[in-house]
Amino acid sequence: MRRRSIEMALAAAGAAFLVTVPWSIPALIDNFWVSVITEILIWSLFAASVNLLFGYVGLLSFGQALYFGFGMYGVALGIDRLGLSFWPAFGLGIAAAMTMALVSGIFAVRLSWHYFAIITVVFSLIFYFLAVSMKPLTGGDDGINFTLPPVFRFDGKAIGLTDPTFQYFFVLAVVSLCFFLMYRLINSPLGKGFLAIRDNNLRASLIGLNVYALRLIAFVMAGCLAGVSGALFAFFGRYASATYMFYQVSGEAVVWTIVGGAGTMFGPLVGTALFIVIREIVSSHWEHHSLIVGLLAILSVIFAPRGIVGLWNSWMIRLTGRETVKKAPSRLTLRAEP
Amino acid sequence: MSEPVLQTENLTKRFGGLTAIDNLSISLSPARIHAIIGPNGAGKTTFFNLVTGLLSPSSGRIFFRGRDITGCRPYVISRMGIKRTLQVKSVFPDLNVADNLWITRQARNRFLNPFRAAAGDRDTRMRVEQTLEQIGLTALAERPAGTLSYGDVAMLEIGMALISEPSLLLLDEPTCGMSPAETSRAVAKIRDLAHTIDIVIIEHDMDVVFGIADDITVFAQGAILASGNPAAIVDDERVLEAYLGRPEDEDFMEEALNA
Amino acid sequence: MKDTVLLLAMNGLIWGLIIALIALGLSIIFGLLDIINIAHGDFFMVGTVLAWFSLSVTGNFWIGFLVAPLIGFLLGAIIQRLVIQPIHGVAALSIVATFGLSLILQETVRITFGATPRRILAPIQGTVPLFGVDYEIYRLFAAAVALAALAGFFFFLQHTRLGIWMRAVRHDRETAIAMGIPARRVYVMTFGIGFALAAFGGAVAAPITTVDFRGGVDVLPFCFMAVIIGGLGNLPGTVAAAVLLSFLEGLIQSVADPTIARISSLVLMSAVLLLRPQGLFGGFTK
Repeated sequence: MRRRSIEMALAAAGAAFLVTVPWSIPALIDNFWVSVITEILIWSLFAASVNLLFGYVGLLSFGQALYFGFGMYGVALGIDRLGLSFWPAFGLGIAAAMTMALVSGIFAVRLSWHYFAIITVVFSLIFYFLAVSMKPLTGGDDGINFTLPPVFRFDGKAIGLTDPTFQYFFVLAVVSLCFFLMYRLINSPLGKGFLAIRDNNLRASLIGLNVYALRLIAFVMAGCLAGVSGALFAFFGRYASATYMFYQVSGEAVVWTIVGGAGTMFGPLVGTALFIVIREIVSSHWEHHSLIVGLLAILSVIFAPRGIVGLWNSWMIRLTGRETVKKAPSRLTLRAEP
Repeated sequence: MSEPVLQTENLTKRFGGLTAIDNLSISLSPARIHAIIGPNGAGKTTFFNLVTGLLSPSSGRIFFRGRDITGCRPYVISRMGIKRTLQVKSVFPDLNVADNLWITRQARNRFLNPFRAAAGDRDTRMRVEQTLEQIGLTALAERPAGTLSYGDVAMLEIGMALISEPSLLLLDEPTCGMSPAETSRAVAKIRDLAHTIDIVIIEHDMDVVFGIADDITVFAQGAILASGNPAAIVDDERVLEAYLGRPEDEDFMEEALNA
Repeated sequence: MKDTVLLLAMNGLIWGLIIALIALGLSIIFGLLDIINIAHGDFFMVGTVLAWFSLSVTGNFWIGFLVAPLIGFLLGAIIQRLVIQPIHGVAALSIVATFGLSLILQETVRITFGATPRRILAPIQGTVPLFGVDYEIYRLFAAAVALAALAGFFFFLQHTRLGIWMRAVRHDRETAIAMGIPARRVYVMTFGIGFALAAFGGAVAAPITTVDFRGGVDVLPFCFMAVIIGGLGNLPGTVAAAVLLSFLEGLIQSVADPTIARISSLVLMSAVLLLRPQGLFGGFTK
C-alpha cells in the first residue's frame, strides 16, 4: 500500500503543478516557459499515440506524423480555406485524421511488425511529398498561417486561445481528457484484448480474438490521438506546415515514448518533457544542443532500458517489495517477434 | 451412432515438396477421449494446425460436428468452440495469471467493451476465481505468466482451455516437460474434463495415453497407420514396428495397458 | 524526349548501384543484428564528408575511397562496442540509441564541416557518347566501382572465414556459438562492415551529390525500403530491390517532376509490401 500512496501523492503534486503553471512559472522563471509546457503537453499527446500502438498493442508505427498532419491541416485549412469557426475546424481535423487512419490501417495492420513499421513510413512519406507538391494549398515546407477564431462566444464577448492562460488551460484540459480516456481504455475489456494481442497474437487468435479487427481499432484510436495533437498544434501556433509530416517527427515521438517508458501511462509524457526541456535549456546556452540530446538518448536506453517510468517501477519494487501492477512489459525489451 | 465430432475427407497438406498430411480421412466419435500418437514428423501437430485454421489445407475438407470448417480463420473456429493448447506452452507472458484467464473468458464475446472497467465484470471474475481453484493456481494469480514454472504454465493453459468452455478441446502434448506429480494432476484434470467436453490429445507419454484414451489413432508420415482401442493398438504389429520399435517393447506396452 | 528518358533512367540505375552498397550495409545490420539503424543514412553522409576532407587535405580525391571505408569500419566497430552491445541488440532500444547516434553524427559534422552544403568536382571530367546520349564519365566509373564493391562483398561473404561466420550467425545464432564461432566479434565486425559499406558508398557518390550534414535524411528511408522489399535477410534481394526501385524512380522522373516521381515510387513500394509481404525476392523469418 505504501507504493500506492507514494504514487498518488506524486500524481497529486503533478496535477497541482500543472494547474498552477500560468502563475507559478512566470513568477519562478519566465513567461516563455508557459508556452514550452503547453508544447510539451501537445507533443506528449502525440507520443501517447505512438505509445498506444507500440506499448499496448505491440505495433511499432513510424508514421504517426501522417495523422498529426491531417489533424493540423484539417484545422488550418478548415479555418483558412473553409472559413470554419473553432469547434467545426477542430472536429474536421480529428475526423480527417481518424479517416486517414482507418483507410491506411485497413491495409497496414495485416502486416507483421517489420513490414508494418516500414509501411507506416511509406504512407507518411507519400503524404508528406503530396503536401510539399501541393504548395498552393498547403504552403509546403513553409506552411500556412491563419488567424485564430475564438473558442467560445457569449454575451458578445469572445474567449480565444490568444489569451495564453486560457490557451494553456484549454490544451491541458484536452490533453488530460485524452489521457484519462486512454486510462479507461487500457483497463477495459478492450484494453486487455490489446494486451493479449501484444503479448502473443497467435494465442490471441486461438482464444477467439479477432486480431486484425482489434489492431485496426487501436490504429484508428491512435490516429485520433495524433490528430487531436496535430489540431492543438495548429491552434497553438496558428500555423501548419508539411515539415511536421516528415518521418523525423514520427521518429522523435517513438524515441520520447521509449525513453519515457513504452507501455506505461505516463511514459510518453515523461519522455517528451525530458527531451523538450533539455533541448530548451541547453539551446539557450549552447548551439550544439543536439549533441546533448543524442547522448541523453543513448545513455537512457543503456541505463534505463524499460524507460524512465520503468526505472521508477523497479525502484518502487525494491523499496516496497511488492510486485508491480503496471510495469513496462518485458516483451518490448526483447527482440520483437517477426 | 451419433455424428462424429471431428471428421476429415481426403485432407492433404503440402509444404513445397513435402507432404505433411497425406489424404487423411479420419472420423472421431463424440464422448470418447481420442489420443493421436506417432513418431516425430508424422504430422500430428500439423493436423491440429489444420483443424484450428492456422494452416489451410492443400486439398480436402474438415468437418466439425457436421459443419464444414475448411479454410475458416482461426478466431472463427475458436468461437465455434474448438480450443487448443500448443506444443510449446504459450500464454500471455506479461499479463498476470488471473488476467490470462480473464481475457480468455472475455474473448467469447463478439464485442470487447472499451468503456467499462474490466474489474467490474463480476461474472467473469467469478469464473476466473473458480478456474484458478480448479487448476490450483490461486496463489499465483497476480504473478505475470511469463515468470511461472513450465509445469504451472501448462496448468494455466489447461485452465484457459477450461474457462473458455470449449466443445472440442485439442491438447498438444499437455504433459510434455511435467514432473510425475504434475502429470498425474494433469491427467486427473483431463479425465474430469472429458465428462463434458470432447477431447483429442497428442501425446508421447505412453503411460498417459494408455491411461486415459478410449481410442488411439497412430499417425505415420501424414497418414493413419492404425486406429482402434488401446488393446488393438498394442497388438498391432505395424504400430510396434513403425513406432514403438523392437519386439522387446511389447512387454512394456502390455505392462502399461494393464497398469 | 527520348534523351531525357535514357539519361534519367541511367542516372537512376547508377544511383541504384551506389545506394545498393549503402542498403547492403543496412541489410547486414538490420537483417543480421536486428538493429533498426536510424543513423544509417548518416553513415553514408559521413562517407561523403570524409571524401571531401581527404580531397581538401591531400588534394587527391581517390584517397577518399580508402579513407572513408577504413574510418567507417573503425567508427562502426567502436559504436557497436559502446552503444549497441550495452543494449544487447534489442530492436526497440536500438531505435533510440541509433537516433541519438544520428544526432551526434550530424551535429559533429556540422561543427567540423560546417552547415553549408558543398560540392565536389568529379575527379574524371567529361562525357562519353552512350546510346546516343552524352553521359558523364564519372557516373559510369562510379557504377563500375559500385559493381566491383558489390561483387567483392559477396565474394567475401562466400569465401572468407568472417563471411562464413556472419552467415552462420545470421542463420542460427545458438548453434553458431555452440560451434565455437565468436558471435560477439562477428557482431562488432558486422557493424563495422555495415558502416564501411555505407561510407564507401558516400565517397563514391560524393561528386554526384551534395556534401551536407543533412545528406543522410533522404537516403535512410530508401535503404530501409530496399531491405524490406528485397526480402528481410536476403542480401542479394536488397541489392536487386535498391537498383530496381532507383531505376524505376529515374524512369518516372522523365515524365514527371521529382516529387511526383518520389510519390509514385512510394506508392509502388506500398503495393509490393501489401501484395507480397515477404518481399519481392523472399526473405527469411528468424
